[in-house]
Amino acid sequence: MITSTLNGSPIIEVTGLDKSFGSNQVLKQIDARVAPNEVVCVIGPSGSGKSTFLRCLNLLEKFDAGHVVVNGHDLAASRTNLNLVRRDVGMVFQSFNVFPHLKVIDNVMLAPMKVLKLGRREARERAETLLAKVGLTDKADAHPRQLSGGQQQRVAIARALAMEPKVMLFDEPTSALDPETIGEVLSVMKKLAEEGMTMVVVTHEMGFAREVADRVVFMADGVIVEEGPPKQVFEDPVHERTRAFLGKIL
Amino acid sequence: MNDGGFAQFLPPLLRGTELTLMLVAVSGVVGTILGLVFGMARICPVPPLRWVAAVYINFLRGQPVLIILLFIYFALPLLFPAATFNRGFTAIVGLSIYAGAYMAEIFRGSIEAIPKGQEEAAEALGMGYFLKFRYVILPQAMKIAVPPAIGFLISLVKASALVSVIGFVELTQAGHIISNINQEPLQTFLVVAVLYFIVSYPISLLGRWYERRLA
Repeated sequence: MITSTLNGSPIIEVTGLDKSFGSNQVLKQIDARVAPNEVVCVIGPSGSGKSTFLRCLNLLEKFDAGHVVVNGHDLAASRTNLNLVRRDVGMVFQSFNVFPHLKVIDNVMLAPMKVLKLGRREARERAETLLAKVGLTDKADAHPRQLSGGQQQRVAIARALAMEPKVMLFDEPTSALDPETIGEVLSVMKKLAEEGMTMVVVTHEMGFAREVADRVVFMADGVIVEEGPPKQVFEDPVHERTRAFLGKIL
Repeated sequence: MNDGGFAQFLPPLLRGTELTLMLVAVSGVVGTILGLVFGMARICPVPPLRWVAAVYINFLRGQPVLIILLFIYFALPLLFPAATFNRGFTAIVGLSIYAGAYMAEIFRGSIEAIPKGQEEAAEALGMGYFLKFRYVILPQAMKIAVPPAIGFLISLVKASALVSVIGFVELTQAGHIISNINQEPLQTFLVVAVLYFIVSYPISLLGRWYERRLA
């Protein structure tokens, strides 16, 4: 297994991860690590298990065997307080999942107030800063249904960032978007990466992976086929399977 | 017999209306609370709670309201002498547990109509079961639950007429008694019908107002 070339103990360490849906084994003995400040893009054909892998990292998906250690907490251990671990792991979904009954600003303020017990004023300041960061200051009082997909996804990013997470997980964040709004979401993510956020991004946006990732992981049929710096994976892949996949999409 | 004109029978009919309103209001509120508790229990992560809720909901929804009332009033005291209730209390308990079973299904359906992604988004933010339900799931589920809940409340107005079987004098029973006295069933039951309309129509209006507000 290739380990991260960056320094520091890993913020996520996955060993021997197994996951099946019924008789269909979707993850087979996955080992992976993510170092602080690292941006890892996970690519691969649909059905390769990459989204399931990502969802195991904050236990939205329960796994059958192996260990996922996040920030020093073993998610497989029964004593682990899952809600405490999840505070430090932001997640952005393919389908945005913004809260439709709350205004944009309240979407961002909810978890800091209820989970972190921040006061209303402090939560509001934090939310306003984050909405400015994702370029939605003027939409603070709008309802999610009034926003485009790209805007909703940026609200979702601000909502996740409001918990001040140590790592952000992105599950195909642009796959449900109209082509013209993909760019605005990717540029917010790129800015995050430049600021040093640790990110794991499952994506089909090869341009983004090539430009922003420190490391690209190629998954197929429930295993990590190969991984490495984007230049190497995209231009000189070692495995035939990787070459075949990239040949189809590039 | 009829010397005072029909007007003399209005006060007892209005008193009956008042009692019907009280029955529907109290059993509607208690039924909603029961429905919320059992509807959430029906789909909670704790299996024994799910089973208890399933038994309550499925058993009571399969019973005629008449049987529920007769059982509480006549049969329950034979099993537990302490559970001897007067007519009014029996009527409220019977209608409440009946309403609770129906409302539980309305709430369960509404909660299950909320996309799974909403729950996942709340969980990913570190919200536990209580926070997730209180601030993310229930506010959305309530909006979905209102139209069927309003429909059920109107049918509860009608079901409340059945408590006459245990001798509780609400609007239907008052009308029945009066028509026996004045021998004027046409006038009497017409007035009763108008009074039922006056009770139930504002509930429909409330439902329509709510749906307009959502649109």
